[in-house]
Amino acid sequence: MEEIKNVIELEKVTKDYGDFKLDSVSFSVPEGSVCGFIGQNGAGKTTTINLILDVIKRDAGEIRVFGETIDKNSAALREDIGVVFDEMGFHEFMTAKDINFMMKHIYKNWDSEMFFNYLKEFSLPSKKKCGSFSRGMRMKLQIAVALSHHAKLLIMDEPTSGLDPIVRNEMINIFRDYVVEEDHTILLSSHITGDLEKLADEVVFIDKGRIVLAGNKDELLEKHGILKCKKEDLAQVSTSLIVSTEMSSFGAEALVNDRRAAAKLYPDMVIEPAALEQIMIYYVNRRG
Amino acid sequence: MKGLIIKDLMCLKKQLVLFAFLVAGVLAVSIMYVLSARFGNIALAAEKMIADNQLPGPDVQKLGSLALVLFMLLPIAMVGDMANVFDADGKAGFARVAGTLPVPLRKRVLSRYLTIFALFGIGVVVDIVIAAVLAALTDMITFADFFGIILSAASIQSIYSALAIMFCILLGKNHLDLARFLAILTLFAGVILANLGKIIAVVKKIAASSSAYNPEASGDISFLWDIRDFLIEKWYILLILAAAVCVSSYFLSCIAAETKRGVI
Repeated sequence: MEEIKNVIELEKVTKDYGDFKLDSVSFSVPEGSVCGFIGQNGAGKTTTINLILDVIKRDAGEIRVFGETIDKNSAALREDIGVVFDEMGFHEFMTAKDINFMMKHIYKNWDSEMFFNYLKEFSLPSKKKCGSFSRGMRMKLQIAVALSHHAKLLIMDEPTSGLDPIVRNEMINIFRDYVVEEDHTILLSSHITGDLEKLADEVVFIDKGRIVLAGNKDELLEKHGILKCKKEDLAQVSTSLIVSTEMSSFGAEALVNDRRAAAKLYPDMVIEPAALEQIMIYYVNRRG
Repeated sequence: MKGLIIKDLMCLKKQLVLFAFLVAGVLAVSIMYVLSARFGNIALAAEKMIADNQLPGPDVQKLGSLALVLFMLLPIAMVGDMANVFDADGKAGFARVAGTLPVPLRKRVLSRYLTIFALFGIGVVVDIVIAAVLAALTDMITFADFFGIILSAASIQSIYSALAIMFCILLGKNHLDLARFLAILTLFAGVILANLGKIIAVVKKIAASSSAYNPEASGDISFLWDIRDFLIEKWYILLILAAAVCVSSYFLSCIAAETKRGVI
């Protein structure tokens, strides 16, 4: 059997800012997968991405990208990484043509033809200043740049936030096309779990600087469930199964971490499949 | 790295357009000036100053050439301010993009310094063209003298830019005006310290002349000739100094950028 290669590996990575700490974060992203990196705002997603890109220095732990440690060769490794942020980052006076001129002198594998093809595909003007672009256009421009140097890994930090559902859907289709190539991998950070449910194979859930859940998305969805019962019946349910609970005037709801076991133990109770968003909310509330 | 220099020059494009207008203006005014100094009112005024014994002949000529020196300094002083690149990058959030590019941090810093040399080159070439035109029209100053002044001015501009880059990285994008101010302050402090003895002597003479009338003291503007002569003859000192400041500030900037990741 062929061994699964990990494109990104984090081992006990720590970064302490004083008021916020990324605490011993460990997870990996297998080659050819789409990994959804979820968590509420301020959970540590951007810090983790910045550490992977070596934009900020870690205090402890090990980070490997494409099997190599980032310490000495982060710049060379970035040749194969495309990055998309929630904000454009290019100067407003620049046109797509200017960006092409700049990038072809930066990336060894920059493909101008591919870049202009993407501009055409995304209906982006090449001679218009990008300061006049809408938010959707700016994100598409970033994606065109990220994809035009034959990157094998795409790292995106909240690329779909603030976009309307139509543009979001368009972008998800672009990402789907990208991962058709089997050596292409995506790490996509988002708090919009609906997008990730459509796209992700793997999910890493971070909360308050700690990894709460990590694994195959379908397995996580299969494992978790929302148990619905009367408030007084909740006491019967084993606490080891319950992640957290929510009370309302209609009764009680609890996220269970083993849906099958719960269904066997409590056949009279209703257990529904949980969405990623619900899993995220219940896990966050667990400690609140 | 070349791409980052291209980006820096794009950031300074607006400033370079202003620079082009300034160069055209300086060229026009300085041609008018040298023609007037040869055939017009300035020539008459100079003759009168000599006739009235206000200034000796050689001093009148030096005074005339000093105005040309100032004209030559203007284009180089205006060619580009590196703090504007930090300002533009800060507004766009480009530092975040730069962090994802396959360019090591020290090369990102180096690209800023190479942009200085690109501007240095632009300023010098433009000034040489102006100097060639003016030297052909006047005998107040030779082309060789002009050349010395141009290199001196470009060196001073490079020292300012190197200091500005270092302070911009040290202080971050929110304190660019302070970075500019500190760069100018350091530059002036250096000039003052290097000429402390002369400055004290001039101040003493001025103080003496204000307390009692002393035509010899009040008419002494020889320190101006010293500055002019230094710029013309000792340009290599400024050039070496500029190189030393650029190299040392580059290393300091690398250390600062490594410590304060995300500034450049």
